[in-house]
Amino acid sequence: MEAARLSPLEPLAKAYARAVSEHPKDAGLFGPASLVWRVNRDRCFPLAGMRSLMVQALHPLAMAGVVQHSNWRQDPFGRLAATSGYVLTTTYGDTESALAAAAWVRKVHVHVHGVDPETNLPYSAEDPSLLLWVHAGMVDSIVTVVQRYGRRLDPGDADRYVAEMVRFAEIVGVPADDVPATVASLRAYIDSVDLRQATEAARDATAVVMDPPELDNDLRDLWHDLALVAVGTLPDWAREMYGFAAPAPELMERESVRQLLGALDLAFESLPGVLDARRRIELRTRA
Amino acid sequence: MSATSAIRQSRFGRGAALARLALRIGGRYVARSPRLLFASVERRGELRHDLALRSADEVAEELGSMKGVLMKLGQMASYIYEDMPLTFRAAMSRLQHRAPPMTGALASSVIVEELGGVPEWVFADWDPVPIAAASIGQVHRAITHDGRAVAVKIQYPGIARSITSDLRNVGLLRRIVGAAFPGLDTRSLVEELGERLHEEVDYAREAESQEMFARYYDGHPVIRVPHVLSELSTSRVLTSELVSGSTFDELLEWDQHEKDLAAETIHRFVFRSLYRLHAFNGDPHPGNYLFHRGGRVTFLDFGLTKLFTDEDLTPLVDAVRFLVFEKDYEAFRAALERAGFLRAGAPVPTATVVDRFGQFYGTVLQDAPMTITPAYASAIVRRFFDARGPLAPYSDVPRAYVIMQRINLGLYAVLGSLHATANWRRIAEEIWPFRNGPPSTPIGEAEAAWEANRLSKLPRKVLKN
Repeated sequence: MEAARLSPLEPLAKAYARAVSEHPKDAGLFGPASLVWRVNRDRCFPLAGMRSLMVQALHPLAMAGVVQHSNWRQDPFGRLAATSGYVLTTTYGDTESALAAAAWVRKVHVHVHGVDPETNLPYSAEDPSLLLWVHAGMVDSIVTVVQRYGRRLDPGDADRYVAEMVRFAEIVGVPADDVPATVASLRAYIDSVDLRQATEAARDATAVVMDPPELDNDLRDLWHDLALVAVGTLPDWAREMYGFAAPAPELMERESVRQLLGALDLAFESLPGVLDARRRIELRTRA
Repeated sequence: MSATSAIRQSRFGRGAALARLALRIGGRYVARSPRLLFASVERRGELRHDLALRSADEVAEELGSMKGVLMKLGQMASYIYEDMPLTFRAAMSRLQHRAPPMTGALASSVIVEELGGVPEWVFADWDPVPIAAASIGQVHRAITHDGRAVAVKIQYPGIARSITSDLRNVGLLRRIVGAAFPGLDTRSLVEELGERLHEEVDYAREAESQEMFARYYDGHPVIRVPHVLSELSTSRVLTSELVSGSTFDELLEWDQHEKDLAAETIHRFVFRSLYRLHAFNGDPHPGNYLFHRGGRVTFLDFGLTKLFTDEDLTPLVDAVRFLVFEKDYEAFRAALERAGFLRAGAPVPTATVVDRFGQFYGTVLQDAPMTITPAYASAIVRRFFDARGPLAPYSDVPRAYVIMQRINLGLYAVLGSLHATANWRRIAEEIWPFRNGPPSTPIGEAEAAWEANRLSKLPRKVLKN
């Protein structure tokens, strides 16, 4: 709760405030009535984020791109802030800002290519199949975590959400027709990816997600609890690849997980700009 | 551990009771009391109606899942940390008003559940727009069917259950306290937080205390406590007489004579309640008063009332008597030891005991007018928190008196900011049971007349003094 001790979260707060403009030119790609707007600000997003990274890392080529072309190891929270800033801008920003953010990502991706040392396969961040993997890992994680720990998201709304999010993949370069538009087809797609494996790089990345370097002891304990919950929400195959045991059922209980998320969320709200940004979103959904 | 947290540890490691006490006071002192807003209904504009909570779900999102509980904790701790880092102060102030009010419809649904009908039917006239926010509810104005103007405090739906559940997660709370406030005794902090919040969510208990005060002070010339309408009150709804008056901030603009009168009334209320009613409303806080000309004061908020037994009070009365009148310092020391403030047999000269504890009796030592200044008030607070003094290792605040020590921390802060002048000793003598002194001021005269009249009307069994 003490702001000074939360400095690792500050880049996230700044990204949040920046992404939600005070004077948007239009309603953006999705609009205030969309499920994307409702779901992408659920308080359990940190948990969904952790699970996303754990799943996404299990594609060796996606992982290789991250390892060879980003500074995430030096600045994990900065990297996290950049990613969540992107999600927030494309969700709540006006169309121009959303497309500009996507264009920038595509531009960066041009230079992200190489050979994965563990599989000896070439990769390119422009490859729609890799982009789709990353998209699917994120959307599946959001649906899974929000349904379990967030505000209500019934199966129909979950499908609608996945369908709305097709646009999200499209703007970074995945043909819309290739993007699963229901929860079932999304999961079928994930299960169909043969290359899935926990490489050294993936294990390393997930270890950092679970125990980021910049947190001091007590906050690290709380973070670690949350990471264990994220592990508990992974599909069995993913947990087995990492060799993680399933966490104790008490740890996964909805009420106590929400208490953990609530505590973290309040700390986040205490940072400059966050509450105001949330209020701007709320007011626009009510308008 | 950083240097600052080491300092905190030494300062606050002194005793769990001290930490708890500061917490209790801090919780009230920092929270903007809803009552502050009572006086001027126009201030309702400060509430964020555009963000009003529309369902129990939205309430849970804003205040459930530890959020309400941690807000309270932050408020409490912000008092403990006098030297709180600016970043923390800023964070707290950003969070201060984060919970918006309920919509009229949601508030109405609570009335339906608690009082069995929509407010427009339960009351003759109902203002759907709240006039004030409370930490776990909000206040509406209404007129009853028999024509009484009332203030209706309504608790957020679901909040009591969610707070109870959050408080059960002691493990998480302790870790959060440990993370946020290094060096504090997390166990007692969390315990105190729990008790404080359990008191706060039970409006029925508050109603009972408030009505006890209201009955006692019925007809009093300058002290007013709004009556509770018990038939319109439950554990989640508290309906009491609506009183309008000026806020503390407005009083500060009045002339010094009015301020002195108001201060005298507050002083009389605190000590009369303690010595005659054996009750202490643990809330001497600027937000809990409404002021009227001529020294008339309305007292609000009885969420933290403590009743005392004769056993609790006797050593305190003895301490005053031995220190101030009989000047029997060994007996004074013995009284403090009996009460538990000072460990028996502490290797400290009695002169030191008199010097240190005598500070707290500064207003009554001399039979002369005295002005209570902010400097005097803050010196008392500093002395209270001084862990380096010669008595620190041997002194503590016994549980039964924790709440009452707010006299030192809250009352004098209020009187100090009024720069109030009076012969506090004479006023105190009127009330001390071993003196029963004559009226010493015009208010004292009026009070004596009220008391004579009151005693003549009461059935014998009610009389304790």
